Amino acid sequence: MISRNTRDLMSVAFGGLFARKVRTILLLMGPVIGVAAIVAAVGLTDSAKGDLKAKVAQLGTNLIEAKAASSFGSQNPTLPIDAVRRAEQVKTVEKVASVVQLTDIIVSPYPQAKAKYETTPIPVVATDTRLPYVLEVPLTSGRWINASDNENAVRAVVIGSGLANELGYLPGESRTIDLADKPYGVIGVLGKVELDPSLDNAAFISFASADADFIKEDVLPTKLYVRSTAGTEQVTSDALRTAISLGGPKEVATEIKAEALQLAAQSDRQLQLIVASMGLLAIIVGGIGIANVMSISVMQRSTEIGIRRALGHTRRTIAQQFLLEAMVVGFIGGILGVLLGAFAILVGVWLSGWVFVLQTWIPPAGVVLAIVVSIIAGLYPARRAAKLEPLETLRLG
Amino acid sequence: MTEVFSESIPESQAPFLQLTDVSRVYGEEVKVFAMRNVSLSIMPGDFMAIVGPSGSGKSTMLGLLGCLDLPTSGSIKIAGEEITTLDDPSRTRLRGRTIGFVFQQFHLIAHLSALGNVETALLYRGLKPAERREKAMDALERVGLGPRHDHRPVQLSGGEQQRVAIARSLVTDPIIVLADEPTGALDSTNAENVMQIFESLRSSERAVVLVTHDQGVAGRADRKVSMRDGEIVADEYKVLS
Repeated sequence: MISRNTRDLMSVAFGGLFARKVRTILLLMGPVIGVAAIVAAVGLTDSAKGDLKAKVAQLGTNLIEAKAASSFGSQNPTLPIDAVRRAEQVKTVEKVASVVQLTDIIVSPYPQAKAKYETTPIPVVATDTRLPYVLEVPLTSGRWINASDNENAVRAVVIGSGLANELGYLPGESRTIDLADKPYGVIGVLGKVELDPSLDNAAFISFASADADFIKEDVLPTKLYVRSTAGTEQVTSDALRTAISLGGPKEVATEIKAEALQLAAQSDRQLQLIVASMGLLAIIVGGIGIANVMSISVMQRSTEIGIRRALGHTRRTIAQQFLLEAMVVGFIGGILGVLLGAFAILVGVWLSGWVFVLQTWIPPAGVVLAIVVSIIAGLYPARRAAKLEPLETLRLG
Repeated sequence: MTEVFSESIPESQAPFLQLTDVSRVYGEEVKVFAMRNVSLSIMPGDFMAIVGPSGSGKSTMLGLLGCLDLPTSGSIKIAGEEITTLDDPSRTRLRGRTIGFVFQQFHLIAHLSALGNVETALLYRGLKPAERREKAMDALERVGLGPRHDHRPVQLSGGEQQRVAIARSLVTDPIIVLADEPTGALDSTNAENVMQIFESLRSSERAVVLVTHDQGVAGRADRKVSMRDGEIVADEYKVLS
């Protein structure tokens, strides 16, 4: 609850501003233009990368790929058999899926096409039941390989979205394709994997099928897909290398899948800084304007101040009245500036086809900045007003 | 009723305002006495005029009586309270509580209505807006300007503006109404009207002090204090005969 004296002060300050509309508009110009410039600078540079930012937000930055690195010139490097369990030991790891890239398997939609697909082979990936869950990519049709498929080595295959396109696969269609002359039934289509487009053209089968049909020795994973808890991708990525290899001979290389995208989505900081500094400059110049106009106003209103002092208003009250006027100017100017800045972003977005981005902390920060600058600007005139002697301003006698 | 003055002093009471041996000196190296060893008591019910030619110390007296200035030496008590030792905020608040001002140039705040001007005297006193408004309306009605309360000073004649100023000086219920040449900027009709209002303010609850060089105005007062060269040369009471 504000005190009655504060309410009196506010009515005097608002009354003073409202009574001198032109002067008040002049006072408002500085904070309005300054805040608008800063808001527009940050907002426009952010909005220019808005579509990429939205994509990063949608895909997440926490997908890490850990794959066997070829050390000592080994031809087909693999990860340890218990790589998934080892990766799960890392505290910041949320979920893990493992895959094996199978080589020398000719995939052909029908026997006659085999010759063509020998020259442009379709990659075959053996994987576990968790891959879509870890990639956070849903199936566009059908289902993923389940535990039963894996236990019974069912000849079931899920195809990537690009491959589905190429084969003209219709959702729900019953289709058999040959994997090294073995008939596999298509059970589903994986959606587009934005963070690893190489998977879009792959055919996915269970480890058990790979074991039964293609690989004679143990099936060793060649690659893990890992989701870390948000924001820990770098430390997780580093920890994974050690956690998986455990000092053994098998080397591990990691890659944060969204790193490049994230980099591309970053706003142009330098441009942002330059334009925002110009906005800051505008606010400061506006503040000087406030100090100037208010100082003149104090001189013009010296009689009014003298009267108020004669009527029993203390110096402190007079100073507060002027400071409050400055504060109200900052507050209203800040709000108008944010609105104007947001409007400028909208126009820019509309003209350039960007995506509107305005970080939530910017509008309140803009208003606070305008208020602070205005109060500082109001200090000198308020002090001058408080120092006026009623006897000198009232011309008695 | 004829204008005869005597030097007799009425029955003794506690003065509203008391100056004792007050001097006011201007200048550092060359000292100029604007007022020299002046003593004066303003009593409840006084309707007094302070007169003198320009340079007689009237304005200095006005500043000191109005608690707008401090003496170089001597004591000033308002309602028994010594003001020379008070700090600025306390003196300001004491002024607001005890003294109402009326100025020659009216000194209304231009952007405020008549009512707003009167209400200005009641700000920062912890009043509810409705209370404040009611008191201000009462004061305006008392000077006959109730219906014109929403007019701004530029929409009022000089006489009306001065009546608003009188309402503003009365609204705080001061013990002293201090008027500086209240009719100086008015034509004779308006001046007469304003003087009649001042005469109607006679009350044992307050003192009315008119500072003027106009003998016509001074003649209407019950007590006349004459100044010359920074000193009081006469302090007379009108005797009714």
